Amino acid sequence: MATISYVALLDGGQRERKVEVTRLAPGVFQVRLGDTTHEVDAYRHDHGTLSMLVDGTSHSATLDERGDVVHVRLKASVFPVEILDEKRLRLRRAAGKFTVEGKQTITAPMPGKVAKVLVALGDPVQEGQGLLVIEAMKMENELRSPKAGKVVELHVKEGQTVEGNAKLCAVE
Amino acid sequence: MAARKISKVLVANRGEIAVRIIRTCREMGIATVAVYSDADRGSFHVRNADQAVHVGASPSRESYLDMERILDACRSSGADAVHPGYGFLSEKAEFARALDRAGIAFIGPRPESMDAMGVKTTARKNMAAAGVPTVPGSPAPIADEAEARAFADRIGYPVMIKAAAGGGGKGMKRCDAAADFSRLWQSARREAAGAFGDDRIYLEKFLEKPRHVEIQVFADERGNCIWVGERECSVQRRQQKVIEESPSCVLDERMRQAMGEVAVRAARAVDYRGAGTVEFLVDAHRNFYFLEMNTRLQVEHPVTEMVTGLDLVRMQIEVARGEPILAQEQVVRRGHAVEARVYAEDPGRNFMPSPGKITYLRVPAGPGVRDDSGVYSGWVVPQFYDPLLSKLVAWAPDRDQALARLLRALDEYTVHGITTNLPYLAAVLRHPAFRSGEYDTGFCSRYAEELLARPDPAMEDVALIAAALSAFKRDTEEAEAFAARAGEVGASRSHWARLGRARALRGGLR
Repeated sequence: MATISYVALLDGGQRERKVEVTRLAPGVFQVRLGDTTHEVDAYRHDHGTLSMLVDGTSHSATLDERGDVVHVRLKASVFPVEILDEKRLRLRRAAGKFTVEGKQTITAPMPGKVAKVLVALGDPVQEGQGLLVIEAMKMENELRSPKAGKVVELHVKEGQTVEGNAKLCAVE
Repeated sequence: MAARKISKVLVANRGEIAVRIIRTCREMGIATVAVYSDADRGSFHVRNADQAVHVGASPSRESYLDMERILDACRSSGADAVHPGYGFLSEKAEFARALDRAGIAFIGPRPESMDAMGVKTTARKNMAAAGVPTVPGSPAPIADEAEARAFADRIGYPVMIKAAAGGGGKGMKRCDAAADFSRLWQSARREAAGAFGDDRIYLEKFLEKPRHVEIQVFADERGNCIWVGERECSVQRRQQKVIEESPSCVLDERMRQAMGEVAVRAARAVDYRGAGTVEFLVDAHRNFYFLEMNTRLQVEHPVTEMVTGLDLVRMQIEVARGEPILAQEQVVRRGHAVEARVYAEDPGRNFMPSPGKITYLRVPAGPGVRDDSGVYSGWVVPQFYDPLLSKLVAWAPDRDQALARLLRALDEYTVHGITTNLPYLAAVLRHPAFRSGEYDTGFCSRYAEELLARPDPAMEDVALIAAALSAFKRDTEEAEAFAARAGEVGASRSHWARLGRARALRGGLR
């Protein structure tokens, strides 16, 4: 019987839980979570909808894949989970952790227009100080500096349209 | 009163409201014309209409807000009436006048009423003259920042900085301290210029713990004017409504009656016609003040429709035809309705809009549920417009049942690919302050932390099982597919080998 061990990363990667899946028969699995073992009858519907009978209780989960993270929804609860097998986990650990040390690049959180540039290249900035204002969907959103430092890069001008994730400026 | 024929309506709007208007027109046997910008060619309202006209580039200023282009679309499509929806040109008196000159009916109030109510400062003056109580504030728009700041100092913080041409929370900022004034003032001006093409700003005193309660009014051309019940809209984030319900928990029958009568007086004072909404602030002592009158159909009009059983869009069209409305005593309100606005936004990131492709959409159904949506599975929500995807409304005989029903429907609502406020909406409906009915416009900011819906820890194991099974399926399928392909390659290679061997064997046999 095929068994695969996974590690699930929760809370933005701050928490890990082990999940082990064994296929017992087509559509029937044994899933071990820590010390508990569940028997699960899984039936896949369209578009990421998964019907599961977990020890006889019916659950309808929807899985929305966003790159590496899958948003698992059960009723009003949404769990963003990154699910890794051993190989992926090693790669992931090698990539290191998130910090605000060093140069921080500020990127556009969504496509929109640069309504205002509040700083100039070389300006000293405080943590939380406004750097730029992006207008999207008729609302203005101020982007603030993640750390105290100096504006070392500025890639945009007022009035310019930007794509989502476009580099706007950097603070070091 | 000469009846006016309306046989083809151009809907000068987009998204859910365009779809909603088209639906009623279809029921009435009236042909419809949609308009669309570059970004909206694939929009839901375009394929719902009988005709569609391209009106320009994606930014609204170059399409939906461009009066000349909309007028051209009316002429080229042969529409005899225009429904403006809400936002865009709906409260531009100039637009109503231009249509009038072109001999096309405007499904809305007379331009004079819009003038009287459109500039908020003029409206306040008119209402005070009609004996309607108003919130203290600047009597006229203020052009100069220093002058505005001095006025704010005089009436005392917090103050509301508001676009004179405003509505829908655009160009509206709450300022709590003098230190923030400059930044908020300038931001409000830019937003107002962008959203309404008019950057005039005025100030109003911010009332403590105010509730936002509005009265739906309706008037025809024969001198009838009625009120059709209230909507409680105090659940607001960034000055935009999120949840609306009717009836309001703060009104008793006497107060409802009093507000209804004041609303009718306000509408009559400006010789109103069609559907309008008189917005009031109700303070902690249950005093009510006129806030503004929206001279158009409101986003949240379905709440009133559910409670009264009326179709407000149909009534608007009937009034535009010169027909009479029903009498005040024919308006029957029953049960309770609640609406939740489903937005493409991330409540965890200060309600940042999240445009993008909807990879999958499944909407709720079942008893007492209505979904007024403007999107579909596969649609890319554009960055250019308001992030409202849909309005989900539940009706039930009483408030508890209506809330339970809306929660149930929210659980069924599935949107993949973009971030939505669905979990946030459920958190609002579950919150004890909301459930008790004791909430005001400060609700969303006061409970901001609690409302950032955390998933139910009891469901975590099930979620992990789902994620792991999905990964297992993917990994084993990948392995099987690889094995199958490898097998095929092996087989085809052996084909040649077999052929060679067979030839050799045949040769050998010969």
